Amino acid sequence: MPEVPEKLLLVENLEVRYGATQVLWGISFSVVKHAVTCIIGSNGAGKTTTLNAIAGVLPVKGGSIRLDGKPITALPSRERVKRHIALVPEGRQLWAGMSVEDNLLMGCYLPALRSRAHLNLSRVYDLFPRLKERRRQLAGTLSGGEQQMCAIGRGLMSEPQLLMLDEPSLGLAPILVEEIFGLIRDIARQGMTILLVGQNIHYTLQVSTYGYVMEVGKIALGGPSEMLLNHEHVRRAYLGIA
Amino acid sequence: MTAVEFINLLISALLLAGLYAAVAVGMTIIYGVMKIVNLAHAGFMMLGAYFNYELFEWLHLDPMAGALLSLPVFFVFGMGVHWLLVRWLPKSDQPTLSSLLLMFGFWLVLQNVGYLIWGNSDRAILTAHRRTLPLGPITIPTAGLVVFIAAVTCLAVLQFILHKSWFGRSVTALIQNPYAAQIVGVDHQKTSQLTFGLGTAFAGFAGALMAMLFSFNPDFGRPFLVRAFVIIVLGGLESVTGVAFGALILALIETFGILFIPAGYQPAISFGLLVVVLLVFPTGIAGLLKRKWRLA
Ligand SMILES: Nc1ncnc2c1ncn2[C@@H]1O[C@H](COP(=O)(O)OP(=O)(O)OP(=O)(O)O)[C@@H](O)[C@H]1O
Ligand SMILES: [Mg+2]
Repeated sequence: MPEVPEKLLLVENLEVRYGATQVLWGISFSVVKHAVTCIIGSNGAGKTTTLNAIAGVLPVKGGSIRLDGKPITALPSRERVKRHIALVPEGRQLWAGMSVEDNLLMGCYLPALRSRAHLNLSRVYDLFPRLKERRRQLAGTLSGGEQQMCAIGRGLMSEPQLLMLDEPSLGLAPILVEEIFGLIRDIARQGMTILLVGQNIHYTLQVSTYGYVMEVGKIALGGPSEMLLNHEHVRRAYLGIA
Repeated sequence: MTAVEFINLLISALLLAGLYAAVAVGMTIIYGVMKIVNLAHAGFMMLGAYFNYELFEWLHLDPMAGALLSLPVFFVFGMGVHWLLVRWLPKSDQPTLSSLLLMFGFWLVLQNVGYLIWGNSDRAILTAHRRTLPLGPITIPTAGLVVFIAAVTCLAVLQFILHKSWFGRSVTALIQNPYAAQIVGVDHQKTSQLTFGLGTAFAGFAGALMAMLFSFNPDFGRPFLVRAFVIIVLGGLESVTGVAFGALILALIETFGILFIPAGYQPAISFGLLVVVLLVFPTGIAGLLKRKWRLA
């Protein structure tokens, strides 16, 4: 009998609105432990909104979010960081005028994490030697790829059990896109649970095990990424293959 | 102008700059973290001056000790004001009318409490410090120098705190990118309260220092508000260094302005400068420099 994959995150009927405009119309999906799950979809579908709602940055209008079976829907964002949910946001969102090292250290801001800040820092530097070389530099002076590494590094500093990545390859040169996805694959191989939002649909589906297709605030399709790669609708609408 | 006159003016500009920086830094960090234009800053400065005055009158405490004592006292006072009033303001990433009105109203309350207790006559702390250092033709007022050293030392300590402590990093993080601060778990409310305490501590401290140099009444502090605005616009919100830079420029222009403008118009200098800077560089000088490393 095949083992049923254990779910770390369970989102049910999630609804979010900005003022009067409803953006998420009751979406449901789950994130399997120790695997990469992805959400793909066209611009404005609501992917970033979904991740922000899970991170607790946006108030939720309806539905529930469960982590390891426990509801976290009403918790403020720092309580979710405490439960080891990390968001690497769209557009990096670094502190441009702070050094690379201070940007990373802020990932360990919560008092419970501080005692391990330097241990985690050396781990991140092992993963991104380029950041170590530039640790005294202001984050705003890094190249786009290095900024993305810094943002991922900051996410890893908080010892996540769920790492959410929002369009990590946005605006990067093709060679860097490859490098970033290679890194995501490495992090995943170490057993990290990842929720990946990707613009680069081909890479995103290749690096992930499960995937969801989001269309104007609803989940249109979900299943193993391999199945989605060969799905007629996905091929036509997102990969441009007839 | 002789070389000696020039040096004397330069020295007084430098001493003035230290004081201005101490005045502006509290407003700067409060604005940076909470986007509140703290008009009550002038009221806190006034209270700081009277605090030092009363300690000197009743306990014969050295005014320098009084000024240092004002730091913890006004820190706690500021935290209380935040808890009582400021925390109820709606959170915003831009200055709001409600916050401006609240702080203006609170300033009026403080001012009137001042009139009630101390009346409207001028007071001064009269000490033996009114000497100058004997350096030949160059004059350095002792009191001014002592005040300058105290102000600069406290600014350096603040700079250290902002750069090396977790609290300081959370302040910088909230100033530079509040969204990013939230996703790593910074408690906006808690950091705001501490920041408001720190800003108030610096207001009280600056007032207490100025009481050693100038006479004061319950309206004390008002002329320094516009100066603080100019310094913030010139130096930006990023750092204590920016504030020091803005303070130095303002002090230099004001001091050397006396050579070209009748002394009675001196207060107009800072106001004129504010208008000019806002027209010419709407993002401030610091904004111009910052554009070099703007994030995409
Ligand atoms: N702060 C906001 N206020 C109002 N509407 C918003 C806000 N942020 C996003 N929206 C709207 O919500 C919808 C979903 O946006 P979201 O950023 O979640 O999309 P996305 O799937 O991440 O798109 P992209 O691929 O372009 O990043 C869009 O129509 C957008 O215009
Ligand atoms: Mg998005």
